[in-house]
Amino acid sequence: MAAALCFSAGHRALAADPQLCAACHGPEGNSVIPANPSIAAQPEQSISIQLFQFREGNRKDAQMTPMAANLSNKEMNELAAYFSKQKAAAPPHKTSPENALAGPKLAQQFNCVQCHGPALRGQQHIPRLAGQQYEYLLAQLRKFKAQTRADLDGNMTSAAQPLTDKDIEILVDYAAGLSAQ
Amino acid sequence: MNSRKALAAVFLMLFGTAALAQAPAPAAPPSWQQGRGAEQATSPLHPFAPHMTGRASKDLPVDKLKVPAGFKVEVWVDGIPEARSLALGDKGTVFVSNRLAKNVYAVVDKGGAREVKTLLKGLNAPNGIVFNKGTLYVAERHRITRYDGIEGSLDNVAEGKVVIDGLDPQNQPGHFWKFLALGPDGKLYYNVGAPGNIVMPSYFQAAISRVDPKTGIAEEYVQGVRNSVGFDWHPQTKQLWFTEHGRDWLGEESPSDELNVAKGKGQHFGYPYCHQGDTLDPEFGKGCDCKMYTPPVLKLGAHVAPLGMRFYTGKMFPAEYRNNIFIARHGSWNRSTKQGYDIYRVVLNENGKVMKSEPFLTGFLTDEKADPPMWGRPVDVLQMKDGSLLFSDDYNGILYRVSYSK
Repeated sequence: MAAALCFSAGHRALAADPQLCAACHGPEGNSVIPANPSIAAQPEQSISIQLFQFREGNRKDAQMTPMAANLSNKEMNELAAYFSKQKAAAPPHKTSPENALAGPKLAQQFNCVQCHGPALRGQQHIPRLAGQQYEYLLAQLRKFKAQTRADLDGNMTSAAQPLTDKDIEILVDYAAGLSAQ
Repeated sequence: MNSRKALAAVFLMLFGTAALAQAPAPAAPPSWQQGRGAEQATSPLHPFAPHMTGRASKDLPVDKLKVPAGFKVEVWVDGIPEARSLALGDKGTVFVSNRLAKNVYAVVDKGGAREVKTLLKGLNAPNGIVFNKGTLYVAERHRITRYDGIEGSLDNVAEGKVVIDGLDPQNQPGHFWKFLALGPDGKLYYNVGAPGNIVMPSYFQAAISRVDPKTGIAEEYVQGVRNSVGFDWHPQTKQLWFTEHGRDWLGEESPSDELNVAKGKGQHFGYPYCHQGDTLDPEFGKGCDCKMYTPPVLKLGAHVAPLGMRFYTGKMFPAEYRNNIFIARHGSWNRSTKQGYDIYRVVLNENGKVMKSEPFLTGFLTDEKADPPMWGRPVDVLQMKDGSLLFSDDYNGILYRVSYSK
């Protein structure tokens, strides 16, 4: 009984420890794993909302769902505040010359800049795309298009519907290579 | 009809609404951008989202909230994520709803210490709540359910019973959340909003309807209402008063959001043809005359987003506040200089005519040009038994109390 309590309490303390997040999201939240997003220098509210979505079961992921399950709102806010203040590393991806030209036009045409901002650095509850991991962005945008990615208000699902596979590749190649600051 | 549409039509015939719910969502733009003109394509204006994890009141500039002399505003309870509509139980339980989240909460006042319980979970946009004779009614996007004897079972709520289902057969992309209130006729009144910013609604949309909780029989009450997320009945005339959001992307100053009165069943309030009682819609207004529609009794300001409203019948506030209306103005996004973000007061004479209106509680709006311009957003108001006024703030997940003493 005592051991179970100790484990439970210790687990909770660890869950809110930024170092535990860094195991998958990289040093100070700058991911070095292509499938995992960077959370450094993301807008604070965009991090807390995604943690909320995982805990509430709206967004599901084999790693993140159990990580978020025991976090309180306060712990989520603390983690969001911490990672939002970390410095973003240089983007690990290099945009092709043709997509560096085509990307900005598509980002305008498909309303990306409306919410994510002119430099795609995010704001408030909207995440930063600039310098994000290429593979992660590609997977998320494909999921929004397939209507399988949780969405707070339906806006991203709706915005992704007119995108072709080629549009998605161009947009992701463009955003992943942008500087985060 | 191309082959894909033909196929979709066949599926629809075979599987009805079930197939429709599986059909791809409408193409971009997002519903909040629908109706935006080409000249606004690079507009930086966008809606705001709540902090879904809430924010602690101790970290917020609560001391910046201003009320008239003699009044006092204080935090009543925090830690209720996305606190939206409010309802009061006979035993003093305060019920709080969600819109984007899925829960309904109960706040139990234990003599100063308040406990927040998550009462219902996993609901579908349960924005509308009302309490009557021991029963809590909840309006989700697609149905209204009842939870009988709720205050006796706050820790062990039995499954709700359906009053009416099928309220969202098209899985509409915009304005799918519902406000719920109990009329003097014992019927439950609810809105069905327009499915976008400015679109032709189907026959049951852009309306306030009512359902008899005893029979489950529903009927449309008034139409031409783009979206109302607040209504109440005048304590003396018993007429339905309601707030209404005007369309977006028609300008900084126009159209105004509205305060309306329904004098009876069947009135049309103009949407999508005529806005604010005097402005024809550039697209849908062709061939129409605003005289065909009931105008608002008060223009509340462009894009201010009036939500919950209640008539004040308590005895705590000074006599001139009796039968006034308090309106929670959530605040504008579709305007470069922001306004609203307050509790607004409307004074009526004994015949129910609007005499004056003014902000009553301010201080959430800190910089009208900033993004975001505010630190909190009022959603609903609730008169307590002692005559004090509670209001909710979904941006932070906080309830505040306004009281008065000489």
